[in-house]
Amino acid sequence: MPPMLDCEAVMRQLWDFLDEELTPARMGAIREHLSLCEPCQSHTDFERAFLTALSEARSSEPIPSALKDRVMEALRREGFVDVS
Amino acid sequence: MTALTRDAQFASEALPRLEDVARFARSLTRDESDADDLVQETYLRAYRSWSSYEPGTDCRRWLFTICRNVFLRSREREQRVVARENPELETLAAVAVAVAADRSGYGDLFTTVDLAPAIHRALADLPEPFRHAVELVDVNDLTYDAAAEVLGVPIGTIRSRLFRGRRLMQESLMDHARDAGLTTAGGDGLLGEQR
Repeated sequence: MPPMLDCEAVMRQLWDFLDEELTPARMGAIREHLSLCEPCQSHTDFERAFLTALSEARSSEPIPSALKDRVMEALRREGFVDVS
Repeated sequence: MTALTRDAQFASEALPRLEDVARFARSLTRDESDADDLVQETYLRAYRSWSSYEPGTDCRRWLFTICRNVFLRSREREQRVVARENPELETLAAVAVAVAADRSGYGDLFTTVDLAPAIHRALADLPEPFRHAVELVDVNDLTYDAAAEVLGVPIGTIRSRLFRGRRLMQESLMDHARDAGLTTAGGDGLLGEQR
């Protein structure tokens, strides 16, 4: 069994972990560390909450219909036929 | 492929992404009028080069790449990267923000307070290379690999820009929390705009 990761090694890869950009083995090793290390779990919770807040803050402001009309008109001039 | 088939594919795959492209264009230009020009040019180029798109693949990623390329050409030069090329040190810097937040009573800030307006401001205030990375990965849910392709940079550069952008935003949001009195130092308190 590989040695357990230390806190610094885990924290160095925290963003990669939260973005699920690591190998399955590395993801598993970090999950194992977090399950046993309250301070690292706390930092992880903080960063995950930040990412969630950022994702939820995505603008839901609708794009004006004038822009859609403008793009469609430009496409029609290019030969586009809207068959939908 | 007939012209009608091509147009039907374009209508079903590219046109539904108009709002995503428009938001991305606004994040690039930071100007509504320029963004609208960019969206129109992006769709014209996409339509002209539709034969190079592989149906069923990630159309949004393909459109974002065109949009970014048109934007860069319109400015005739690419902004040079200013991020440190050390993503892991940037990650540790963000962890330091988390530690400081916890010690000063802001540990629950992102789960107890509606920060959406402050997040929009903090994102808009980010310097360009960092803002683009955060917009693509955190707002539009692209992978590192997809964001690197859209921006035409190595994946390590995306990580550096993304991680620095996140850290700068967190620092900005902490400043906002303090300035707005959302919490008291030491964690006693107050949390004005509770969710």
